[in-house]
Amino acid sequence: ADFTLRATANSNENDEDYDGLIVFKNYVEAASNGAIEVEMFIGTQLCSNGAECLQGVADGSVDIFISTSSGAAGIFPFVQVLDLPYLMADDRVAEAVLASDSDFMRSMKQMVSDGSGGAIRLMTVGNTGGWRNFANTQKRVQSPSDMEGLKIRTVVADLPQVLVEALGASPTPIPWPELFTSFQTGVVEGSKNGITDIMNMKFPDAGLQYVTLDGHAYMGALWFMNNEKFQSMPPELRTVVVDGFYQLQQATFASPKRKSIQAYEDFVAGGGDLYVPSPEEKAAFKEAAAPVYDWFTANVDGGQQAYDALVGSVAQAEERINAARAADTQ
Amino acid sequence: MLIWFLPAFLFFLLIGLPVFFGLLAAPGLLLWLNGQEKDITLLYRNVYNGMDSFPLMAIPFFMLAGEMMNRGGITIRLVEFSQALMGHLRGGLAQVNILSSILFAGLSGSAVADTSALGSMLIPAMEKEGYSRKFAAAITAASSVIGPIIPPSGIMIIYAYVMGESVAALFLAGIVPGILVGVGLMVMVRLMADRYDLPPAHRVVLTGTQLGKTEWWVSFVLVRLNVALLIWSFMPIAAEAGAAIKWGLLAGALLIAHGIFLGLRRVVSHDFRMVCKRAMVPLQTPILILGGILAGVFTPTEAAAVAVAYAIFVGFFILRSLKLSDMPQILTNAGITSAVVLLLVGAAMAFKTVVSLSHAPEQLAGFILNLSENPLILLFLINLLLFIVGMFLDAGPAIIILGPILGPIFVDLGIDPIHFAIIMSVNLTVGLATPPMGLVLFVAAAVSRERVETIAKAILPFLAVEILVIFLITYVPAISMTIPRLTGFAQ
Amino acid sequence: MGGLVSVLAPIGFVNEIILRIGRAIGVVAIAAMVAAILIQVFFRYVLNNALPWPDEAARFCMLWMTGLMAPTAFRRGGFVAIDMFGRALPSILGQILSLFLLLVSLMVLVVAIQIGWGEVTGFGGKFTTASLYLPTSLSFDEWHRIPRSWMMASLLVGVILLTSVNIELILRGLVTLMGGGDRLRPIDDVELLGSE
Ligand code: NA
Ligand code: NA
Repeated sequence: ADFTLRATANSNENDEDYDGLIVFKNYVEAASNGAIEVEMFIGTQLCSNGAECLQGVADGSVDIFISTSSGAAGIFPFVQVLDLPYLMADDRVAEAVLASDSDFMRSMKQMVSDGSGGAIRLMTVGNTGGWRNFANTQKRVQSPSDMEGLKIRTVVADLPQVLVEALGASPTPIPWPELFTSFQTGVVEGSKNGITDIMNMKFPDAGLQYVTLDGHAYMGALWFMNNEKFQSMPPELRTVVVDGFYQLQQATFASPKRKSIQAYEDFVAGGGDLYVPSPEEKAAFKEAAAPVYDWFTANVDGGQQAYDALVGSVAQAEERINAARAADTQ
Repeated sequence: MLIWFLPAFLFFLLIGLPVFFGLLAAPGLLLWLNGQEKDITLLYRNVYNGMDSFPLMAIPFFMLAGEMMNRGGITIRLVEFSQALMGHLRGGLAQVNILSSILFAGLSGSAVADTSALGSMLIPAMEKEGYSRKFAAAITAASSVIGPIIPPSGIMIIYAYVMGESVAALFLAGIVPGILVGVGLMVMVRLMADRYDLPPAHRVVLTGTQLGKTEWWVSFVLVRLNVALLIWSFMPIAAEAGAAIKWGLLAGALLIAHGIFLGLRRVVSHDFRMVCKRAMVPLQTPILILGGILAGVFTPTEAAAVAVAYAIFVGFFILRSLKLSDMPQILTNAGITSAVVLLLVGAAMAFKTVVSLSHAPEQLAGFILNLSENPLILLFLINLLLFIVGMFLDAGPAIIILGPILGPIFVDLGIDPIHFAIIMSVNLTVGLATPPMGLVLFVAAAVSRERVETIAKAILPFLAVEILVIFLITYVPAISMTIPRLTGFAQ
Repeated sequence: MGGLVSVLAPIGFVNEIILRIGRAIGVVAIAAMVAAILIQVFFRYVLNNALPWPDEAARFCMLWMTGLMAPTAFRRGGFVAIDMFGRALPSILGQILSLFLLLVSLMVLVVAIQIGWGEVTGFGGKFTTASLYLPTSLSFDEWHRIPRSWMMASLLVGVILLTSVNIELILRGLVTLMGGGDRLRPIDDVELLGSE
């Protein structure tokens, strides 16, 4: 192979990231006729967190890396725009907003390039784990008032903490590996995760039995690549890589939907309580979460720009989708 | 090509390069020869990120707590307590030595601390009672390895971190194996007592022991609280019972506990009671650490910080045996020692990166599976390998180097990761007491002023027991897995 | 050799002073770590209000403790090594070997300084910490988010100090090799406090 791309994901082989990477590897290696080889490092073999891995992407010791928004927030704080609750209604809207030529994606790509001095490219944003929902060990949560006083695990980042506080719960920063034990023993009473993560980590065994499908945030997966490496390829191979990321994105869109079926079945079979909030209840959640938007645009570098881009693209996407729906349902 | 960093590392290690530099020099050299200069940056970065870790913080904390307890005169209390319980047995002081090690293990995470603390007290005492010095030093060294097997344990913290396991699960898994090593040694001492006519024993209970008022009352409350909580935790209380009922039952349990102690009072002598009381305050440490972790009140790192707070509380306010002027020295020692360990862990994480880049585990797995496909035989071979490595290398570095290479292979073979962690930790911990390189042997030699070679010979029967225990642990997973499974910390 | 000894003396002196300062800061750092985690426990369980910063602050202190205190251990011979081979050699060969080993260490350290400098001043240093702030005004109403480079500098300072110690050890080795071992000031021995 003329080019070896070293790709890393800090998750494991059960994760959507891995599904995406496999599709990417397969597509790129075949479409380039073997000119590109993709070497995958799953887990923390090369680097173990967003800061460290993005450093690797910047200097070229890692070529491709998938980060969650919180992992990249230390250098690209504006990517937390994806964590803003209740902005995108469903998968159809989200996938349109994240399409590579949407205004939102164009500005995100530009902001990443600017923020890294041209060292890092944002290739695509896929999904990792569906949507975040509130889950807890105590009781069914139907309205924001039910969240009152619950100790909810968050990562150490401002935005999720502001959100949890806005809903009246108390944010508790617990490292991911300690979370199972922390549920079991009551150090925290809830979390905001996708169902597949909840099931992969066997959290229901630790008492996490109540899930409210409020879908408060899209679990975006940001795929970064070293710009120098990308530019070093001839144009036709760059096209292959870009198309490869399109394939990857589609795979990560689809994978959580497929995987979550079994996950939800297992959750309910294990005695779990799955609650779908009514539109009114969801509106109440959105209203309670309002302080987060103000906080984000006022306090995060590039926050206003990212927020405007997202809201704008959401409006466009909804308009188009609603028109399509109207035409299709004639 | 890159895989040559393993023999290069072995070479550097054997000619005496400090492990820290070897872990970086060998991979760095091969990356450079391989034209992968960019990846040398990856090495440096992983040293930094390897050290930047919350779970690792437990290492300096436990070291600090152990050192403060030891300086604060807690060792003597544990020894007296062991003496009151076991001093009357055949080979009395040897048994006391072992029991003290087990108790001390609950406070300290280090075998070396155990050897120096207990050795400096018990070796002279055993000599005075007629034991040979080499025997006294040997049993001290042999029983000290229990220190890092029973929680807390620096070695297990390192293993859990490097291999991504739960510290709490490893701690819990170590309890029974640690006690088993102790019991094995006790049986051996009992056998030797007949054979070699070890000095006859008499129950040693200090007479006229006085307790300060604070300590008396604190122990009075603590011992009743311990028993009451134990009774209470076995009471069938419905989960939805109100707080009032729960507190009421706890009060009831306290009354029962008090009653029990009133009854016991008639059976045992005043001096015996005093000795037990004096041990109550130090013995709260393991209860606090394990109880806290089990009840989910804190993570192991937080438990370690709480242990430090407890040590401060005990040393300054209850026993009043520590002075503020002792603190700089204690903090400096704990800081320097943990700095060395942390750098080593960081270098190991960097080394691990190159292990991945070179695809070494896949290649080694192929080699190992060629030897045999039977996990039982492979486990035997791996114990042999670990034992040999342990003869030359300290447990921490050995775990750091071999864990990432061997762990995945055996987990793929169906061995539970926690079980494998215990096999590896216990085996390499026993290596601390084996010649030619055995940290614990060296310390025992320094403390007893007996030659290392002499102690190394005298320790052989005890090593035999420990090897037996290693194989028991290897082939009976339930020994290590039962407690973590029952408490839900392992599946 | 007289020249060597006269070069060695100031280096040894400077190392001694700087490492003593390093140990003093390290002592404060380790005490601060304990305090931070105890505050975390207190707030979470007693006040039911988890704080975001103690974890990162304690790691900040731990990294600096390591960077500032490990060089003392290196200087006192406290780095773990298998020294059987060297001790089995005739004394002169053993001394040459240990010089060679020090040179290998020096190479590692020099490369580490270069990379470390690039890391602290480069892209990685631009990241922010997740939860650490410093007040930038006396009235505590303006807070500056601490950059990650302040944490990353700990290892860079550590390898610089290790290099300085390494150079001192090499000079000591050379003096010993030339038969001047008795003219060296002894380095105080490492106190045994086990981590294992
Ligand atoms: Na222990
Ligand atoms: Na050994």
